[in-house]
Amino acid sequence: MPHTQSDPYLPQPARILRVIGENSQIKTFVLAFTDPAVNASFRYQPGQFLMVSVPHCGEAPISISSAQQATPGEIHLSVRRAGKLTSAMHLLAEGAIIALRGPYGRFFPMSDLCGKNLLFVGGGIGLAPLRAVIQSCLADRGRFGAITILYGSRTPSDIAFRADLACWEQEAGVQCLLTVDTPEPGWSGAVGVVPKLLDQVALDPAASKALVCGPPLMIKFTLAALSAKGFADQDIITTLERHMKCGVGLCRHCHLDNKLVCVDGPVFTKAELNTLHVMELA
Amino acid sequence: MSSSHILKKDHLIPLLRKLGKAYRLVAPMQNRHGDTLFAEVASVETMALDLDHQPQESLKPFLFPQQEVIAAYEADQAGYALHPRYAAPPPTLYFGVRSCDLAAILYMDVIFSQRTREPHYLGRRHNTVLVGLNCNAPFPNCFCDATKNGPFSELGADLQLTDLGDRFLVTAGRAQGETIVSRWPQFFSAAEEAEIKKQYQLYLEARGGFQRQVHVDLAIRRLAEGMVDEAVWQQLSLRCQDCAGCAYVCPTCTCFTIVDQPRSATSGERLRCWDACTFAGFTRMAGGHNPVEPKKAAIKHRFLHKLKYDVEKHGRPSCVGCGRCLDICFGGTDIARFVELASEE
Repeated sequence: MPHTQSDPYLPQPARILRVIGENSQIKTFVLAFTDPAVNASFRYQPGQFLMVSVPHCGEAPISISSAQQATPGEIHLSVRRAGKLTSAMHLLAEGAIIALRGPYGRFFPMSDLCGKNLLFVGGGIGLAPLRAVIQSCLADRGRFGAITILYGSRTPSDIAFRADLACWEQEAGVQCLLTVDTPEPGWSGAVGVVPKLLDQVALDPAASKALVCGPPLMIKFTLAALSAKGFADQDIITTLERHMKCGVGLCRHCHLDNKLVCVDGPVFTKAELNTLHVMELA
Repeated sequence: MSSSHILKKDHLIPLLRKLGKAYRLVAPMQNRHGDTLFAEVASVETMALDLDHQPQESLKPFLFPQQEVIAAYEADQAGYALHPRYAAPPPTLYFGVRSCDLAAILYMDVIFSQRTREPHYLGRRHNTVLVGLNCNAPFPNCFCDATKNGPFSELGADLQLTDLGDRFLVTAGRAQGETIVSRWPQFFSAAEEAEIKKQYQLYLEARGGFQRQVHVDLAIRRLAEGMVDEAVWQQLSLRCQDCAGCAYVCPTCTCFTIVDQPRSATSGERLRCWDACTFAGFTRMAGGHNPVEPKKAAIKHRFLHKLKYDVEKHGRPSCVGCGRCLDICFGGTDIARFVELASEE
């Protein structure tokens, strides 16, 4: 039978326009679909992800680290070198072609964030999906209250998104605080895990939303610290990383109890996660 | 409204001969090792049709093959292009399909069309005619009575056969079935009232013929109430050998993975292959984090998916009581064992 319906597995070629070295492990790839019509009609929301194909390496889910309004015609993917596909991707330079399909997944509830103070808490590569939200908020600055960005890295040389952090700090009503687990000579900033930064900022939980992303343990301790500070569970929002093969709710690699992270997430509130058996909260 | 006909057994082979010309014909046949498996019928004259044993595999490998090419790709300096590939099987008639396997196909229909329309499965499925065979005598490991989809089937088949001894009672359940009856009327006659009564009698006898009592309903209830002790999962996990045999023979296990298979430095194929949620690497991410504790939670998820999550989502379990995992599991961690452990107070 001939197939006229769209193929959910078929990615579209995209060209690497630029590569930004964020640190020794993370690069941000600036991409555009090679077909101008595809590129012009592509729409996505902060928190969504793409299935990325690299020749001979299969596919992996990568969250989009840019906001549509902030980078028109361009898609940013910030990728940490972790496995076969991401290692191969790190070898690619400007001009190389990969393939993308998506966007997939439930995104951050941007309309719920309007009028709120926003607290972003990121660890390592976890700042990537938050970067998309921050860009989106800054592109429409008047609709959001004070923005606080807390970012933890292992060491000062591991701090990624330095150019972004420097820009954000210049914006009115934006505060950025960094911390590292292990200092290096010359580091005068905070030392310690990122939840400790919560003590250094003024918080108004009732008027705020907290957005959190990082490694599993960081999520665990940050969510607990936010609750201790008085944030209600529905005001704490995080996004989960999972192994995925299809991205469209079929292959089941990202199962989370009765949910599939690819379609029911990856963005969840803490209130939602409380009812599930989540590695990040265990 | 379904209609009932009689097909004398003398007419079976002539009918299959006609069907074999109109369709690719797949039927349970005994191979030279004595195993009964669904296979494509090369010749109706010489086929070793076996309607007395349960096929060791369901129709899953036909509708959702263990491995299939979903795309071909070329990648070189000039670019990277992926082209979808679709196998285009001819219209296929599956003969002698038991109620468990019919129920499993109805489940896969939902899975592969509800959230995302899966073109490979649906492409095959749309080209499919199903001729069912009711089970007069349940096989030793069967418990489709407990999963409420057998031993006689009312759903899914285009034609449904009941063995009345020297003849089959044939019920046309769907339009495709009616088409077959009206296209080859010489093989069919009208069913008498007595023959329909005989079928009901056989149904009652079959219902009493189960050798296993598997209390699926009770396990479902205890799972829903959170009453299944952690020790049950521990016990099963310790004994599970992580072979995924259960998932492979299961007619409703549809987890898969997608991998690239390079064919040259500049080309290759993208394959969709069966996978199993019990495999330790199923949920492991690049970098090593695994959200599922392999030795404890993987087998737990398998049973929760079938007996809890699918009950919540679809109103019935996705175990169809075919008993194949009982045949294949050498660790004794099949679903009947779980139901037994879960039902203990």
